[in-house]
Amino acid sequence: MRTFVAISLAALAGILLAAAPARAKDSKGKYKTVEAKHFDRAEGVELMPEFSDYLYAELRSRLVKTKLFDQVIGEGEVVEEADAPASVVITGTLTEYKKGNAVESRVIGFGTGKRSLKLQVTLVRRSDKKNLGSLAVRVKADPRWNEKILAVEAAKQVANEVKSSLEHEGS
Amino acid sequence: MGFPAPALRPLPTRGNLGHAAIFMVFPIFVLTFSMAVGSVWADDPKPKPDNTIHVALATPVTPQKFSRPVKFFVGDVIDRAGNPQPMLVTNARGGIFVDRLPVDIVREALESSLKAADMLSPDAASADLILNVYLFHFGLAPSLADFFGKIELAVAVKDPKSGKSQQITASGTSISHVAVRKKSEMKDLETDFNGALSDAVRNLLRGQALHDAVASAIESPASAGN
Repeated sequence: MRTFVAISLAALAGILLAAAPARAKDSKGKYKTVEAKHFDRAEGVELMPEFSDYLYAELRSRLVKTKLFDQVIGEGEVVEEADAPASVVITGTLTEYKKGNAVESRVIGFGTGKRSLKLQVTLVRRSDKKNLGSLAVRVKADPRWNEKILAVEAAKQVANEVKSSLEHEGS
Repeated sequence: MGFPAPALRPLPTRGNLGHAAIFMVFPIFVLTFSMAVGSVWADDPKPKPDNTIHVALATPVTPQKFSRPVKFFVGDVIDRAGNPQPMLVTNARGGIFVDRLPVDIVREALESSLKAADMLSPDAASADLILNVYLFHFGLAPSLADFFGKIELAVAVKDPKSGKSQQITASGTSISHVAVRKKSEMKDLETDFNGALSDAVRNLLRGQALHDAVASAIESPASAGN
């Protein structure tokens, strides 16, 4: 009985040790680098000046959390030639912003009067500029909320869309 | 029979009215003094060991590779942020400070990164290029419910031989959440600032702008990727 337990434990340890490198390999990012650029603004999009900076910073922090990339590099950083084919550049434009109406939101409800932001995001492979996807993202928020919260929501949605788009691209 | 003539009845007057007024003066004076002292303290926090954070690069940033070895010298690092209290990070919770002047922090970060990659020249005379750094922002940017650390640099890349200079910019940002306890908040701020500093130095030393400036200064083809 004691021998049986010892053999079982040894076998279990062997399986776990064999599986560990495989797990480590799976958890590594699929792409070497990703560079998120500051998003442009279309004419008529009236958001506070710090919005773009905040969205950029938040998007970078959200892209780290996707675990799809080995490195999230800053805007305008160089990438080694060898890493360029497995590197992605994210550009985007804030195409439409509606301030919303707090009274409508409170009185009518059902999503009426909400603050909304539309973004057009493009994913490009760094080496050959191949388009890896174009995403249309729309974010809605309560009109009483600060614009920074809108930026956080936008970054979260963009990161999720980027992840699902690139995962789909690979499969 | 007639109505009796109304007799004026003297009302009792408080004899110690003057004393009552005197008793009120003391609490008002104490209240005013404490408010004045409190407001002075609130406006002018002082750095102490328990409200100071240490900002430095955890690991040196590896600079990009150039077509031929280049030696840099970090010349002037000038604070252009216009902050009257450059070491003060935030006024909240009695004030939180950084342990050194921002210009010293940035200089040390740049020099340590260049030195680790053997790209730091000991003096200006032997350097291929001189980096004169202007610090436009070092601290927290306005934010709602978190810390948004931001560092903005403008760097003049000067060729000491020709005297020609090119200006490039670099920036670093970092976001961390606000903690409930002051000790945790200071830890978060430290992480936030270290992240922003690392990001800014990386953005400068691995930036395409520096690559182009160096390439045009030494007139050699690009070696690193785009």
